[in-house]
Amino acid sequence: MAETSGQKADCRPFASTHGEKNQKMTVKRILPLGLLFVLILFPLMVRDDYQQHLMILVLMWVVIGSGWNVIAGYTGQVSFGDAAFFGTGAYTAGLFAYKLGISAWWAMAFGGVMAMAVALPFGWICFRLKGAYFALATLALNEVMRHVATLWESLTDGMVGILIMQTFVSKVPYYYIALALAAVSVLSIEMIMGSKWGYYFVSIREDEDAAESLGIDTHFYKMVSLNIAAFLTGMAGSLYMNYMGFIDPEVVFSLHDISIMAILVGIVGGVGTLYGPVVGAFVMVAVHEFFRTGFFGFFNTLAVLTGSDVVHVVAGYVMQAHVLGFGILVVVVILLLPNGIVGDWEKMMGTLSSVRKKGMAG
Amino acid sequence: MEVFLQTLVAGILKGGLYSLIGIGMTLIMGVMGIINLAHGQLMMVAMYVTFVCFHYLGIDPYLALFISAPLLFVLGMVIQKYTLNPLMEVESLLPENQVLMTVGIGMVLTEIARFVFGSDYRSLKTSYSSSAFYLGEISFSVALTAAFFLAVAFTVFMFWFLLKTDMGRSIRAVGQDKDAASLMGVNPRRITIITFGIGAALVAVAGTLLMPLYYLFPDIGGPFTRKAFVITILGGLGSTVGAIFGGVTLGLAESFGATYIGMAYDDMIGLLIFLLVLLFLPGGFKRLTKI
Amino acid sequence: MKKCALILGCLLPLMGLVHSGAFGADGLKVGVILPLTGKLAKFGEIEKRSFILAVDEINASGGVNGKRIDLVIEDTTGKPHVGRSAIEKLISRDKVLVVGGGYSSSVTWAAVAVAQQRQVPFLVNTGSADRITEQSWEYIFRLNPPVSEYPKALGSFISEIGDVKTAVILYENTLFGQSGSKKFSKQCADLGLKVVMEEGYEAGAVDFKPLLVKVKAKKPDFLYMISYVMDASLLMRQAKELNLNPRLFVGGAAGFTLPEFQKNAGDASDYVFSATLWTPSVPYPGAKAYYDKFAATYGCPTEYHGAEAYAAMYVMADALKRATSLTPKGLRDALATTDMMTAFGPVKFVAYDKKTQQNRLPTFLVQWLHGNLETVWPKDVATAKYVYPVPKWNER
Repeated sequence: MAETSGQKADCRPFASTHGEKNQKMTVKRILPLGLLFVLILFPLMVRDDYQQHLMILVLMWVVIGSGWNVIAGYTGQVSFGDAAFFGTGAYTAGLFAYKLGISAWWAMAFGGVMAMAVALPFGWICFRLKGAYFALATLALNEVMRHVATLWESLTDGMVGILIMQTFVSKVPYYYIALALAAVSVLSIEMIMGSKWGYYFVSIREDEDAAESLGIDTHFYKMVSLNIAAFLTGMAGSLYMNYMGFIDPEVVFSLHDISIMAILVGIVGGVGTLYGPVVGAFVMVAVHEFFRTGFFGFFNTLAVLTGSDVVHVVAGYVMQAHVLGFGILVVVVILLLPNGIVGDWEKMMGTLSSVRKKGMAG
Repeated sequence: MEVFLQTLVAGILKGGLYSLIGIGMTLIMGVMGIINLAHGQLMMVAMYVTFVCFHYLGIDPYLALFISAPLLFVLGMVIQKYTLNPLMEVESLLPENQVLMTVGIGMVLTEIARFVFGSDYRSLKTSYSSSAFYLGEISFSVALTAAFFLAVAFTVFMFWFLLKTDMGRSIRAVGQDKDAASLMGVNPRRITIITFGIGAALVAVAGTLLMPLYYLFPDIGGPFTRKAFVITILGGLGSTVGAIFGGVTLGLAESFGATYIGMAYDDMIGLLIFLLVLLFLPGGFKRLTKI
Repeated sequence: MKKCALILGCLLPLMGLVHSGAFGADGLKVGVILPLTGKLAKFGEIEKRSFILAVDEINASGGVNGKRIDLVIEDTTGKPHVGRSAIEKLISRDKVLVVGGGYSSSVTWAAVAVAQQRQVPFLVNTGSADRITEQSWEYIFRLNPPVSEYPKALGSFISEIGDVKTAVILYENTLFGQSGSKKFSKQCADLGLKVVMEEGYEAGAVDFKPLLVKVKAKKPDFLYMISYVMDASLLMRQAKELNLNPRLFVGGAAGFTLPEFQKNAGDASDYVFSATLWTPSVPYPGAKAYYDKFAATYGCPTEYHGAEAYAAMYVMADALKRATSLTPKGLRDALATTDMMTAFGPVKFVAYDKKTQQNRLPTFLVQWLHGNLETVWPKDVATAKYVYPVPKWNER
């Protein structure tokens, strides 16, 4: 099962054969550091608020996707309900500011903690089940949380939502906070997965009964994994509250926009890989906006430049059909790259180079 | 007393319709273990087909059944053959790719519907859409009652089909043990294609029957998919009779919840029952009745 | 190689940098955010068409001080966070002078916070939650009445008919429904009416019978429903099936005045009253003309949301004309001194109660009479006499 994901039969996530070890480790180190460098410079190079906004979203999804990846990708428990944690984090931050008058920033870490508190009963209920049943239970709990937030008006104001004024006018501080959160998430996951815990998670994914018989307390480690996911996702939720300034139950507990998007980020990027969620986040946000704005206004510009009516109509259709484009992309990616971009990297490169070879030969 | 009886009737009738929605899913989940998150969207497609039949061709929904069900059967088979079966071949870290594929397909179906029909609400009005007959003070919606009886009829039919026909037995065999079935000369790939088709056709019937009572817009699928799950789990995977029990139970729970607790809570009540059954009665009704 | 993909992934969004505000250099840019896709797309479309109708008229007659107005329309998909992305883009990249539209209360609420913070004026024309103009935000103006004022006409009507004592309120669980029901409940208390039942429901329900059977048991004098069009039609159809007969059925939202309601509910829609903000027969210049022109241009009817958008465009054009400087601040000051008549009614932004920069307009009561929506109250603008009490189902 794990063999074809481009990793060797060794269950440790980052193992490789001894000879290539040094070379691979260097490459593995340089790329992410290079990326981090670019990201740190980003808001200084690009002053456009809109682009910064997109990057903040990307970084937020890196955190959420990484969290999901821990419980689903590494531990094999595919959760359909991560919005429960996101929403909890968001509401914690929001209620701190709105009801207690404390700055929502204090709530950020607390948001993660509250999400972990939610993860405890969540896990207790859901881990009794396996596979499809587990997924359905997480989905149901997600919806229950959403209903609670909508109906418990005395606490959450229901569908009226929570609005707070943002602390900073400029996006740059938010950007760096998001970047810090994303970097810390990825780093801590790398450390966790390189440790004994990482071993346990993967062994649970590969064969839970075998792991149990080896003396690993699967229930405990599944809970640990879920709590990690919950903490990260909860923090992302608090960040969202601080940044967006407005939340309501439909937005932050959304099955479709949060839970399923988290899964897509993980799957498109590559489950069970460290940088999969990073790539997935970039791709999903970029593609979503890309389609929504009609290729960033490309079609509109084209229409104006050519003055052609036909292009205008096509532009109209593309923008209208942006969700359709997105859906088709999802279907295609899952069909062709089931292990995600990072997971199926070799496969992708293989196809590309064979295409190139054919071109050269012909 | 009237409140209680009316609520009871509403719940049972609604339950009949719900069970039709669930029976397709229980078959798909029971046989193939796939969570089909596009189930509601398949129903939506059937409803658009019904709408087109009525609006442009003047065909009554009860007759349109003979068009929508076969159409959806074919659509279901196409979806299974070209998008889901290929996934079963590929080795990937998580088997849940199939579920996500259905999410993608659901999205595509919804958006195509929006593209073609726009986001407008569509509805059709027949002579019997709003008519009701009365037993004493209790009102029975004509269309819903008809749907209830049809649901029972289909359940009985599916029960017989799965038990007595060769195809039905092959389906059950694949559901129980794919490898053993193929050793017995059954082609699992072909069976999964047909099963998905049957599941889609059943939900098409539900959609067509719902059309006179409700309305239609591209995003209508989601909540119905969720109800289908609840019913499937309540009734037990693969159990046709379970689907009726699951459907009626859900219908009653929602109705009584709406009346005695509050309508805003009816969805929650369904979800809570769902969770309780998942936890404490994992096989669903099937386990109790062994059908 | 991995680097390529990662860097490509970073650069993808940056691609858009290539064209920012390139064209339309000498037009006046006005931004509009609307739900063009998603569940609310139908209304978004009506508003968009109305904005375009108005802007074409304005530009055809010389524009604003000789300059044309360029509309930049962004899709909010009906979701607050997308609405925020949309308004961010309009402000940062398109550098619009003023923003209009919004539509639903939750999207409008999320968007106006951005506008206020970035100091770009926002003219709300549909979002009705009261709090939008209760924040003392000097960059936010609202053309339409807040939801608490929708049933104003109903208040005077009830005083007129006199024998209504008990009410039941049903509302959809959205910002609009939840806040609207609270306000109406308070209004009932002020009028001396007893609210015997107040219950919310999740929009999109198939079966309202359990809810309606409870209403029937309470035997209220009147039933007030805050619902959108399809729920509204199901509520009425099922009320008919249950033989539920209050003396008065009143709808509190657009749901009950749209042609779809009548089409879907059929004869169950007859005699239903509704509070409304505008009908084609209101005594404002240009109202009927707008209604007819819309129908002629687009081949389908418009309704009050469209009228709000149409009027809003004229208000923004008027402010652009009067602005001493073509900057967001200059425009804000011009908007604050607006005093004009539009097809939607008179527009003047005043402060009252807790509100600031809010336009005050009367509301009307309409009633479906044999398939036609007639204005029935106040008497001086009525096109038909109201029918009260509403005939029982089996007497029709």
